[in-house]
Amino acid sequence: MREQLSKIREEALVAVKAATALSEIEELRVKFLGKKGEVSSILKQLGGLSAEERPVIGQLANEVRADIDAAISDAKKRLEADALNQKLAAEKLDITMPGKSGKIGGLHPINTVLNDMIDIFQSMGFDVVDGPEVETDYYNFEALNVPADHPARDMQDTFYLSDNLLLRTQTSAAQIRTMKTRKPPIRIVCPGRVFRADEVDATHSPVFHQMEGLVVDKGVTMCDLLGVLEKFAHEIYGPETKVKFRPSFFPFTEPSVEVDVSCSECGGKGCRVCKGTGWIEILGAGMVHPNVLRACDIDPEVYSGFAFGIGLDRLTTTRYKISDIRLLFENDIRFLEQF
Amino acid sequence: MKISLNQLKNYVDINVPVNELCDRMVLAGFEVEEIVDLSESLKNVVVGKIEKITPHPDSDHLQICMVNVGDEVQQIVTGAQNVFEGAYVPAALHDSYLPDGTHIKKGKLRGVPSVGMLCSGGELNLKDCDYKGAEVDGIMIMDDRYPAGTDMREVLDLFDYVIDFKITANRPDCNCILGVAKEISVVLGVPFKAPSTEYKTVGGDINDYIKVDVENYDLCPRYIGRFVKNLRIKESPRWLKHCLNASGMRPINNIVDITNFVMLETGQPMHAFNYDELTGKHIIVRNAKESESITTLDGKEHDLTPDMLVIADGQKPSCLAGIMGGIESEIEDDTKNLFLESAKFKRDNVRKTGRKLGIRTEASGRFERGVDVVNVSYAMDRALSLICELDAGDVVDGVLDRNQGLPEDKILTVTTESINALLGLCVPEDTMLSILNSLGLPTTLENGTLTCRVPSIRSDIEGRADLAEEVMRIYGYHHIKGTAIRGEITRGKLMPQRLLENRIKTVMIAGGAYEIMTYSFIGSKATAALNLPADDWRMQTVNILNPLGDEYSTMRTQLTTSMLSVLSTNYNRKIPSARLFEISKRFVAKELPLTEQPLELPTMSIGLYGENEDFFTLKGIIEQLMAELSATVTYTRSSEPYLHPGRQAYAMLGDTPVAVFGELHPETADNFSCAKRTYVAEIWLDKLQGIEKEKVIYKPLPKFPAVSRDFALLCDIDLPAGTIESTIRAAAGKLCEDVKLFDVYVGSQIPAGKKSIAYSATLRSKESTLTEEEIERVAQKIIKKLEEIGAELRK
Repeated sequence: MREQLSKIREEALVAVKAATALSEIEELRVKFLGKKGEVSSILKQLGGLSAEERPVIGQLANEVRADIDAAISDAKKRLEADALNQKLAAEKLDITMPGKSGKIGGLHPINTVLNDMIDIFQSMGFDVVDGPEVETDYYNFEALNVPADHPARDMQDTFYLSDNLLLRTQTSAAQIRTMKTRKPPIRIVCPGRVFRADEVDATHSPVFHQMEGLVVDKGVTMCDLLGVLEKFAHEIYGPETKVKFRPSFFPFTEPSVEVDVSCSECGGKGCRVCKGTGWIEILGAGMVHPNVLRACDIDPEVYSGFAFGIGLDRLTTTRYKISDIRLLFENDIRFLEQF
Repeated sequence: MKISLNQLKNYVDINVPVNELCDRMVLAGFEVEEIVDLSESLKNVVVGKIEKITPHPDSDHLQICMVNVGDEVQQIVTGAQNVFEGAYVPAALHDSYLPDGTHIKKGKLRGVPSVGMLCSGGELNLKDCDYKGAEVDGIMIMDDRYPAGTDMREVLDLFDYVIDFKITANRPDCNCILGVAKEISVVLGVPFKAPSTEYKTVGGDINDYIKVDVENYDLCPRYIGRFVKNLRIKESPRWLKHCLNASGMRPINNIVDITNFVMLETGQPMHAFNYDELTGKHIIVRNAKESESITTLDGKEHDLTPDMLVIADGQKPSCLAGIMGGIESEIEDDTKNLFLESAKFKRDNVRKTGRKLGIRTEASGRFERGVDVVNVSYAMDRALSLICELDAGDVVDGVLDRNQGLPEDKILTVTTESINALLGLCVPEDTMLSILNSLGLPTTLENGTLTCRVPSIRSDIEGRADLAEEVMRIYGYHHIKGTAIRGEITRGKLMPQRLLENRIKTVMIAGGAYEIMTYSFIGSKATAALNLPADDWRMQTVNILNPLGDEYSTMRTQLTTSMLSVLSTNYNRKIPSARLFEISKRFVAKELPLTEQPLELPTMSIGLYGENEDFFTLKGIIEQLMAELSATVTYTRSSEPYLHPGRQAYAMLGDTPVAVFGELHPETADNFSCAKRTYVAEIWLDKLQGIEKEKVIYKPLPKFPAVSRDFALLCDIDLPAGTIESTIRAAAGKLCEDVKLFDVYVGSQIPAGKKSIAYSATLRSKESTLTEEEIERVAQKIIKKLEEIGAELRK
């Protein structure tokens, strides 16, 4: 019996080790450890043994059962792991295939640029205000120091809706509305749509966008104007950007300047973008004209201020190197997707 | 303002190269549009003297000329017949360039070598007025003033630059050579040399010849007339013609040229009348009378209206004041006597008349910008001086100067401190003083106060800010250094409307939509293409009086047509699908015709097409937006003519429609060449403003499990799903957590006129786990209520 048991153990361990499928293991478990299995049939014969031998053989039989059981359990784990690995291997994906996701759309490039500018000025404490696109002659011209017979009216071809109503030619009109409703200190920017009777071509559009800036307080200087515009230029064009003033004329500012920034394309050495000058004209600015302050009941002897107007469309076309301004209003999706 | 550099040098010693001059002028406020090097137009063309002419052996019309070109004699073959031995002619040598860019090289003509080409006036881009005889048929025959070998550019004054200065609207005084020359003298720090205004008279008395009356001093504050007799009309001297050419004016004859030159030089337009054509020997500056007309110098006849100012003789208008003369009193070769005018006309009257008649001249442009009342007499003196200098006529004594008093110089007193305060700098007092004085603004300084005398020619200078600018543009803007703005710290805020739009845009972009931008004005027929009835509010449009064209003539009352145009553009470019939105304004008149600003109301449009889009993807977007805006809306059928009658809806906030959306009507889709299945929404954002976002308060998470029950129903095809859903919700009461539609089916196996519709209801109690009995009780109640509205459980 002793020999029978060791034979069973040997046979079983060899068979279990050789097994390659879980079903085989199960068969071996039944064969050796089942109710009618080989170990059980030995145990059934225990009754025929002497009292001395019975516990010894019994213990041996239990050891054999435990050994086989352990072997089966190991083999099961091994085979299960194999099976899992096979399954995982079979589930291998081509990870270069595209992901599944809903499409994300995008802002119009002009508004992307506008949002950047709003961020910059908002963080400098400027409120962002809006004004009407249909303006009265008074707000668009008269209060901005452009009386009816002023030649500056010819600088801008204006769309009229009636004798007195027009499509604003500049966001500067919002200056007046702001100064009439707020008291200094005033720090605002007013982005918006403006209109001029320009025939449509690659560089002209009768509808375009500006952002007007206005600061009015006691002791505001031209150096402050440069300080604010330098900050703006550094944020938009990079920290190395230089800003320079050139004298110019706008009826609503005095002194008036054109503002140039060093060309971000060539760093000021001169290239095609800056037409070899090293500078790019980006905006007009100046100290608010005393007549404008007076028109808004602000005493120019007490307060001073500066204003500037930035063309958004130009900024957008330069930033993205868009060669034709018409693309901005055509709205081809293949264009819009790029921003 | 185009000016010859050589001409400028007559008034100021320009001691720097042209590029540096221009750079420094830009920094002083005079933008330079263009610098043209005239010498670039002609190269290697010299004066040649024809020494010998022999016929060409193989040609009837070619001739072989031996031409002395200075150091040597060259052989040039010509086809012209007007050449002769001894003639001085322009000779383009080997490797020469002509004004039209032609490159001349040596070659052979019918076998005979030729080093270049003899030139006609036309080939040198010359007219008779540029060089006498230039328009002759054949080679240009020149006089012997220049020896053979002289560079033709010297002959033609082409060693010169023409600088085009952009003069800003506040500086009409610089719209002339003297104005620019004075600025240059300040910028370069060199003296300004004024031209002569001296002239001789021959006695007599102008009053014996003519009478001048100004009837309307408002429109003509000053009028000066002089009389010149015994005119000797001839060609102008070369320098004068060159100066006119450089500034883009055509030389005509000495008198006309003098008036034009004086205008260029002083900025004051002059007018020359043929005295003998003036009826009644009487000049009257007056408004035109009804039904008067004039034929101007350009041969065009104009009907005049009483708002137009004319210079009339005793009978009829002879000149459109400040704009153009009449053809009858034109100066011609045989004109004997001259009445010369120098005047100031009111600028907006000149502009209005010019616009009305469609005429804009060098003169009218200057009057529109404004001429100085004092300069009127200076220019007259200068013109008379030139008439004497060029021996063009005899100036008769006496001047008719009609005005109602001349303005006195303005005196401004400003502290240097206040100027520096505006600039943020410390410009030295003495520097300010010397800059202002050099600019022709006599100024004194006492105890930090500048007292500045401003002549009328600088009427743009009104106060401290203007003086600050004058100082700064000469002192140099490079002195300005950026500083931080001072004062209280403020937080930059956005307006509520912009915040609302930002929230909407975030939702739209996350949903895969691209933002578009379109013009605020649309075509006059665009709105009608939506098939709206004439009395629809969207048809009551505000129109532009002077549009660029019909397609840009109408302020839009809705954004849908613009959206449809964009969808159409994309669709017709074979782009398979689109999901777009725009936020802009619609313009609604309070009353028409317009008496006050129209309402500008924030509006949004959405447009979709493509295989994954349908009514419900659009409705889904609307639902998301309404949720984002905390707007609890209901949906009702709408009846917009441009939408599919069965596939459109309003989103209602209470009783107010806040959006209309749906599938495009096939006719509208045709009108706009859009995809057959196109979906659009118009959302009136003004009606969604100010909805308070519900304050968030945490709700405890559920403790007990939920159960769901499905209800597969059969009902009339027209029973709205919304009704079924609300019925289920009501029946389930407070146990109802959610109700979801998961299937709709119409077709075979379903009786005609019916639909199969299936819902899943989720039930949960806050107090306990629901028992089977409780669930069954609710389910039965739901079924009963559904039966009451005509929806039965499918068997």
